Amino acid sequence: MIITPLRLREHSSAGTLCVNDTGRFFGASPTFVARLTNDDLSVEDEQFLKCEGHRISVDDKFARFAHLYALSERVVQPTTLDYLILVPTLRCNLSCSYCQVSRAGLRQKGFDWTEDTLAAVLEQLDKLPGDRIKIEFQGGEPTLRPDLIRAVIGQCERFAERQFVICTNLQVVTDEILAIFDRPDVFISTSLDGNAQTHARNRTADTPTTDGFFANLKRVIERYPAGKISALPTIDPESPPDIDALIDSYAALGLDGIFLRPINYQGFARKRHRGSREQGEAWRNYYERAVRRIIQRNWQDKSRILEETYFSICLRRIFHPGAERHVDLRNPNPMGIDYIVVDHDGTVYPTDEARMLARSGVVDLSIGDVATGWNGPARETLNRCSTNQFDPACRRCAYQPFCGRDIIDDIARYGRIDLPRTETEFCRRHLHIFDFVFELIYSDDPAVRYSLARWLRLPATPERFGIRHQ
Amino acid sequence: MIPLSLPAVSDAEQPFIARLRSSATLDLGERDALLIDEDEVGGSYAAADGLFAIDGVPAVQLDGDVVLVQPGPGRIERLLRAGSRHNTLLVTERCDQLCVMCSQPPKKTHVDRFDYLEQACLLAEPHSLIGISGGEPTLYKKRLLSMVERVLTDRPDIQFHILTNAQHFDDDDIHLLRQPLYRRVSWGIPLYASDASMHDEIVGKRGAFLRLFESFGVLLASAARVELRTVLLTSNADELPALARFISAKLRFIEVWSLMQLENTGFAKGRWQDLRYNHGSRFEPVAEALDVMNLNGVAAQLFNFPRCSVPRPYRNFAVASISDWKRKYAPACVTCTERELCTGFFEWHPSDEAEAEVTPL
Repeated sequence: MIITPLRLREHSSAGTLCVNDTGRFFGASPTFVARLTNDDLSVEDEQFLKCEGHRISVDDKFARFAHLYALSERVVQPTTLDYLILVPTLRCNLSCSYCQVSRAGLRQKGFDWTEDTLAAVLEQLDKLPGDRIKIEFQGGEPTLRPDLIRAVIGQCERFAERQFVICTNLQVVTDEILAIFDRPDVFISTSLDGNAQTHARNRTADTPTTDGFFANLKRVIERYPAGKISALPTIDPESPPDIDALIDSYAALGLDGIFLRPINYQGFARKRHRGSREQGEAWRNYYERAVRRIIQRNWQDKSRILEETYFSICLRRIFHPGAERHVDLRNPNPMGIDYIVVDHDGTVYPTDEARMLARSGVVDLSIGDVATGWNGPARETLNRCSTNQFDPACRRCAYQPFCGRDIIDDIARYGRIDLPRTETEFCRRHLHIFDFVFELIYSDDPAVRYSLARWLRLPATPERFGIRHQ
Repeated sequence: MIPLSLPAVSDAEQPFIARLRSSATLDLGERDALLIDEDEVGGSYAAADGLFAIDGVPAVQLDGDVVLVQPGPGRIERLLRAGSRHNTLLVTERCDQLCVMCSQPPKKTHVDRFDYLEQACLLAEPHSLIGISGGEPTLYKKRLLSMVERVLTDRPDIQFHILTNAQHFDDDDIHLLRQPLYRRVSWGIPLYASDASMHDEIVGKRGAFLRLFESFGVLLASAARVELRTVLLTSNADELPALARFISAKLRFIEVWSLMQLENTGFAKGRWQDLRYNHGSRFEPVAEALDVMNLNGVAAQLFNFPRCSVPRPYRNFAVASISDWKRKYAPACVTCTERELCTGFFEWHPSDEAEAEVTPL
């Protein structure tokens, strides 16, 4: 028996995009598709398909194993907890309109880790089996509790590989905070919506607060080497900032990576930004224009490489299976295994979005707490569904090998996870982005090829990224 | 060039393995031979199997070497040189392929030295990576694997790299090769083209390509570690991009693909003009092949490519692959800033070509 595990998708620049179960692909002509569907392949077709791993005789042990190996490269199987998102406090000194976690007021009581919670977190750190750790401090505003940050970092000395990311609004940077930032294993992640006017609109509101943030951002950028600081914009799709102005505000600060995120349909955003439930045509247009503009700018000024972070993640998932460990796009997407979120009260959530859903009172998706563990039936239930592998729509989709599954997102938007995939925002968003990525993969424009090569971290620019078969 | 074989005299009756020691240490073992006398060009040693004297190299340079003392022909062979990362043991000179560019043309006879080699491996320096080569080592697969397993079991710090044409693995080997200790073995296996007839022609054996892929099935099922090797030739140069696509589709389980420039010795010496592809004058097929590998996320490296002959974007793929004992540089290389990273040339590379090919960086 011979199998040809190809999925087909009509595509604007690839022709008929043919992708096999392992993600290997080519663009095909209509005449080839006719021969394929009529079971009328030529000798050349068969040779081509065989060499590319698209046609497998099940009697050919090597071909079968090689196919299974490539399939397994697409399957994430994390086993070890080595990434913790910690929320030492829910209190915050800002009140952004789209705050995703419904923050607590600066002086409110009962929104910080207790001593017992801290002790339980430290105990969990001691129990981790690996020698690698990544910790992200979220909030609220975590820098309101430098003592807790220090206690956690201090407990991690035994790990050979350590990375601490402090997600901060950089509104107040004291000497005490700077001393923590000064550690080479500490990284800073902040929010930057664009220029001062855009940033003030949903975040800092008044001029002194806005100026304070920009002064602090500038200060830490000057103080530390490139790569220490990253920033994320949150974009209101109903009034997005001018693309060049947004890129300029990042470029001027020496920040090369821009993660174009529309407002997340979570937290306060559910009330104040109702339009964020679905991302429409307008957002997708804006997104494409922004990526194309970044490509142009990279081509014009070769001294630096700007990139849109999520585009690069999708692009790398196409070509480098297993290399990307982005927890928002992977398959299966196991919950509470390799990373967890520990909230201000010690509750453990599978993802930050799950925490937000609970905070907004939509649904409690907690899987346990840091003192007693999270290895229970709640996690088991989530994990049974957290894959696109057996979904009837995904199994026919050309992009399944590259795509992921996010059941928390489905619950947030629709309150259920059993909608036909194609009717979900997650699916529409990723069909769009992968269509767009493949449009650029099959582009002949040298400027496009130049940026794609850099985003894939290639030493040179290949002549072509996608092959064709007539 | 570092000599691997030296004149020696011994009163022993049989060959034996010894580890040369210039001074008595606390952990002296039964196979350690202690230096008892020396001059500028040699030394005399006392070993359990007898006395012997080595001529030609001062004793200080031999300290720690594991040698095979051969009283008959009056020589010692430096099997494992102390401090070298390039120790390779030749287990046989027989081979069942006849590659057009073979650097070590096979012989018909086999001298079984496995017992000596096994003893030598057990005496290797801590954390050694020991190369095994031939001829074709798997012609004696059973003895080879028993040696490897014995050494890996007794010495958990040791790793092997074994060159093989992979014409002899079959399903019965899977239960052996999947043992955890084989995580410390990597197999260097040649593949010269994605086209079966071209590969078969280069290795001089009809059906070799098909048999090779049977073995790949066995190795894949065993989770074996494989380094794939391709020697660059005039005949396969233009096929490299197709080969790279083939590898990136079907041989994704390999650890790395090594694309190797030709060595001017053995059969290649007499056929140099026909076989040698000068990548310096036309790098494109190599570049395209590397592009395909990088794009598809399968590791690749260039062996025996002097760094200055490789365009800048690809230079970091050119690794210092030529073993220390047979490496040389051109006179012009003296001023080069990348010499430490560079593979240089084989000792037997034509000097006029080496001189013409370098442009110090």
